[in-house]
Amino acid sequence: MIRISFDIGGTFTDCVLHDGAGGRVLAHKLPSTPADPAQAVLTGLDALLGQAGLAPANVAAVLHATTVATNAVIERKGAPTALITTAGFRDVLIIGRQKRYETYDLYLDKPEPLVQRRHILEVAERLAADGTVVESLDPASVDAAIERALASGRQSVAIALLHAYANPTHEQMVAARLAERAPNVPVSLSSDISPKFREYERTNTTVVNAYVRPVVDRYLGQLQDALKQRGFQREMMVMQSNGGLVSPALARRYPVRILESGPAAGVLMASLVGEAVGARHVITFDMGGTTAKLGAVDDGQPAIAPAFEVDPVRYRKGSGLPVSVPAVELLEIGAGGGSIASLDMGMIGVGPQSAGAEPGPICYGKGGRQPTVTDANLVLGYIDPGYFNGGTMPLDAAAAAAGIRQHIGQPLGLSDGEAAWGIHLVATGNMEHAMRLVSVERGRDPRRYALVAFGGAGPLHAARLARAIGIPRVVVPAAAGVGSAVGLLQAEPRIDVSATRLMRLEAASVPAMAELYSELERRARAELALLSDAGGVRWSRYGYLRYAGQGFEVHVDLPDGAIDESYPARAAAAFHDAYQRKHRYRDEAGAVEAVDWALVASLPRPPTGEWRFAASADQRQGRRNAWFPEAGGFVETAVMARASIGSQGIVGPAIVEDPDCTTVVLPGDLARIDASGHLLIDIARDRT
Amino acid sequence: MKRQDEIDPITLTVIWKGLLSIAEELGLTLRHTAFSEGVREGDDFSTAVFDAKGRMIAQGPFSPGHLGSFPYVVQAVLRDYFPPDRLRPGDGILLNDSALGSGHFPDTFQIMPVFMGERLIGFVCNSAHQVDMGGAAPGSQKVHGVTEAFQEGLRILPVRFIRGGEPDEDILRLVTGNVRMPDKVRGDLMAQHAANRSAAVRLEALFREQGPERVEAAYEILLDRSEASMRQALAKVPAGTYSFEDHVDDYGPETPPIRIAVDVTFDGKGEVTVDFSRSSDQVPAAINSYLNYTRAYAIFAIKVFCDALWPQNAGNMRPIRIVAREGSFFNPRFPAPSGGRAALQVRIFDTINGAIAQALPERAMGAFSHWSNPNIGGIDDRTGRPFVLYDVGLAGYGGRHDRDGVEGLSPVMNCSNIPVEVHETLNPVRVRRLEFIANSGGAGRHRGGCGLRKDIELLNSTATLSLLGDRHKFQPYGLAGGEPGALAETILNPGRNARTLPSKALLQIEKGDVVSFRLSGAGGYGPPGERDPQAIAEDIADGYVTPEHAAAKYRFAPAE
Repeated sequence: MIRISFDIGGTFTDCVLHDGAGGRVLAHKLPSTPADPAQAVLTGLDALLGQAGLAPANVAAVLHATTVATNAVIERKGAPTALITTAGFRDVLIIGRQKRYETYDLYLDKPEPLVQRRHILEVAERLAADGTVVESLDPASVDAAIERALASGRQSVAIALLHAYANPTHEQMVAARLAERAPNVPVSLSSDISPKFREYERTNTTVVNAYVRPVVDRYLGQLQDALKQRGFQREMMVMQSNGGLVSPALARRYPVRILESGPAAGVLMASLVGEAVGARHVITFDMGGTTAKLGAVDDGQPAIAPAFEVDPVRYRKGSGLPVSVPAVELLEIGAGGGSIASLDMGMIGVGPQSAGAEPGPICYGKGGRQPTVTDANLVLGYIDPGYFNGGTMPLDAAAAAAGIRQHIGQPLGLSDGEAAWGIHLVATGNMEHAMRLVSVERGRDPRRYALVAFGGAGPLHAARLARAIGIPRVVVPAAAGVGSAVGLLQAEPRIDVSATRLMRLEAASVPAMAELYSELERRARAELALLSDAGGVRWSRYGYLRYAGQGFEVHVDLPDGAIDESYPARAAAAFHDAYQRKHRYRDEAGAVEAVDWALVASLPRPPTGEWRFAASADQRQGRRNAWFPEAGGFVETAVMARASIGSQGIVGPAIVEDPDCTTVVLPGDLARIDASGHLLIDIARDRT
Repeated sequence: MKRQDEIDPITLTVIWKGLLSIAEELGLTLRHTAFSEGVREGDDFSTAVFDAKGRMIAQGPFSPGHLGSFPYVVQAVLRDYFPPDRLRPGDGILLNDSALGSGHFPDTFQIMPVFMGERLIGFVCNSAHQVDMGGAAPGSQKVHGVTEAFQEGLRILPVRFIRGGEPDEDILRLVTGNVRMPDKVRGDLMAQHAANRSAAVRLEALFREQGPERVEAAYEILLDRSEASMRQALAKVPAGTYSFEDHVDDYGPETPPIRIAVDVTFDGKGEVTVDFSRSSDQVPAAINSYLNYTRAYAIFAIKVFCDALWPQNAGNMRPIRIVAREGSFFNPRFPAPSGGRAALQVRIFDTINGAIAQALPERAMGAFSHWSNPNIGGIDDRTGRPFVLYDVGLAGYGGRHDRDGVEGLSPVMNCSNIPVEVHETLNPVRVRRLEFIANSGGAGRHRGGCGLRKDIELLNSTATLSLLGDRHKFQPYGLAGGEPGALAETILNPGRNARTLPSKALLQIEKGDVVSFRLSGAGGYGPPGERDPQAIAEDIADGYVTPEHAAAKYRFAPAE
């Protein structure tokens, strides 16, 4: 079976083809064409098919990840949107949750809401917390609100009424009236988009959906047309933030679910690679120019969080717009190759300021004046100035050294190597702190995990991080440079539906639980009808549970099977285990309550077969000086292309160069290549 | 300077980052295992790492309220109760005394000595706001009718709560027997202990890796450099004494205003003294601010104004002196009651802001909307069980020299509001309205943020309403020609038998009663005449000001 995928980012479009029969994987990376994204896609897919000697009609699946929705929010380039809400509560969206994202900064500003106050309109109605109608919907107020929305040129409408998660009727009545008056204006209902309690988060999630909907609709429509015209017969599937695929029809209706499309695919790639090397537990580490993203795969499944934030400020929690839809769990920190090193109180600090790609590190020669992590890695000999991006971008090592000397080395009385090492060490320490949060603090024992490192800078820092945290193995995937596109090929169609219902796990709750799950199944089946892929559905349940009275819930995979008298006890047992894993604490006697209940419907894909990544023809081998403090500083170090390592492996210190990333192998560690082409590093046991 | 040559800058960096990371992770563990809402939602907790002499070296970025108290807490405990030579591996100390701790009983501190073998290498500590510590009312923060600390709950002077790594069950029984929610309090005390223990393991690992001599030498350098940096920041402020006075409405019905007066003296050479001595005497109501609490928020204010936001430690606190006359509102004598002292933190900051505005006009802002912290409690008719609706009303920031004040953001203390849907799910109430109050923000070149109105209807047969607000009599001031924000009001049953309620009071309400909280607006900055007409037009379009108000305050006429 031939499957093809493409990941459109701001700079590059990555295309990958996988032939399930022989396992062959082909990749092609080309510049994105933002004005007409389909252009780069078609060029890339043509190239792959040409190389494989195939035609579009041979392709059994076309899979896609995109940043279009996220970019529309970050750049505030969504559609002019109105919000209709319950009278008396127009300011919920602007008030937010009111907490400063920096306790010690009283001069900060809140994120700009996607809808200005003047476009937030009220309708007279009121529901109680259990969904009963306290005040019926006033039709005159509905007409007035719709009139104002249309008169002010709003092209998309969000409706978020208080307690609508418990009863969607009023929202549906407003939507029906709007459909009569303006059938072409898309409507997003909070009871449909994110039926959970906590009005700010639900309202904002609904507004984000409404705001990006026309943009995503147009984009996916054009892409579908272009693929069809080119002769692709299977409908494209789109990656969602939860790591599952959906049909374009669903993505166009629920674009808020595809915000984290690309990062989700990256984590899936790591799970695929983990599977290939026999690792069921994986920490993912994707480090690029400005940020590092950390995720996890537990027991073969990417970890999913119930919510995330879009467009955060300096990656601070609480600074972005909250979106309450399931997404792969990712911790993003401002630590990348472009992070700037500086001095404070005679000590080295790195980031969060970044030189980005423009002007970039000093060594890019594009006007950067402040030393960065990449400059340090160059001075340390980890990066070959003549082989950056496969040799397409020569780097100025002398300028990097001079910058480090001026800003760090001279003030501290350190040699160039020592100063660069200090920068490298502090950058690694920042990531170590983040990785501790993802692993130890969330109940993941590093000794059971493998670290899958990718992104331009990830493999360079991975071994140090693994040592610091105690992770025994690092994997640098083959084709890491097109990782998200590879991850797409691993995905299955998946739908998550959830509901808020605060309930204790006790016998009295059983009928309500059973009813809740049949309602969730009904909703999931309605969406499945819009998923074009047929096939047997696999159902699974999870929830967000806590000890009664707590305010933080933990993710719990709930048991399958009939919801009968034994169910509360079985669910509670699952909770106790999950809680103990995460917090190392267990209170068997404590009452347990569930806040959110979720049901997952996934459509298992056929086995993907073997994976054989095309090995680079590059057989380079050489030596250069690189800095390893355990060896006393600069030592002559073996440098080789992945293809020249061979199956017996090599013991560090060594540097492995791929065209898109460089891997540092520390003294005593063993690096080798497996049958699929992945680079494995076993961290020397006495070093972890 | 010889000492400093012994440690290379890279090692120093590694030690410092390691300490900060230990302190932060201690707090993250605590936040995620705590039961108390204050800890979870309000970040009402703190963490720190101390050296073997009890000097604070690093702390986590959590509540300023406890952070500023920490150094004094540990110093006093080691000096007066547990000299370091009496501590053994596996010990842990617990206390909550108002005067020794952070000013009220709900904040419990746990201090754990850390050993490498038999050698004491330091302490890890945390404090957390417990749901209850007994006393006159749930939450142990009752203000009205409380005249001495003994009515406020269980007072714990420092005790050896952990022995041999395990909690002392006798002490635990004593504590849980005196609080309203024993399971939660027990859970939180254990969470505090577990968080300390994990931090202790990491601190010991750092010492083993680097060697104790090297880490301790690094401490000296870190403290000295922190002090030097702080002195440098303080020295930039023009020398002089800057004074400011404001008033809290009262401390209950029929009581006089409380004067808050501050004299801030920068010596121009790197030291500052913040003196609250001219303020009123302590009052017989539970809002007195014990000196540790006064210190905490005064230090916070100084740091914010001087842009000296390094992690706090004993070094950078050396050049800051916080003073208040003994027996005054800001340095009361035990047993002054203080459960509700959190009401004051905004005003400690505001007052220092007013003083420093004379020296650093570009750093200051108009006064905040004062916050409101009401409780509605009773027996829920539906279940027969007690309920307490604990609410925080948070509104605008004052105008700044270059921008308007922010709308609807937590001032000084940093907490989240509680969603309407959460309140209505848990309690027999219906929120009728939650919105900004037009025209309430102080006019100015840069407008103050608006006040916030929240109307809550009682659905229960009866309940007790406890009011803890302010700025009903004294407006939030404006700066540099900006006007003050509108006064706050609390109205019972607006539109039918409306009755104005005092800012602080305790009363019974009945089913169908609506309590309308209207927070004050924040102060403006700069003369209103200098406001950009475009900004005024935007405000009108968004409804933050009405055309009439714009005409009156800004002489604004819409362009045709």
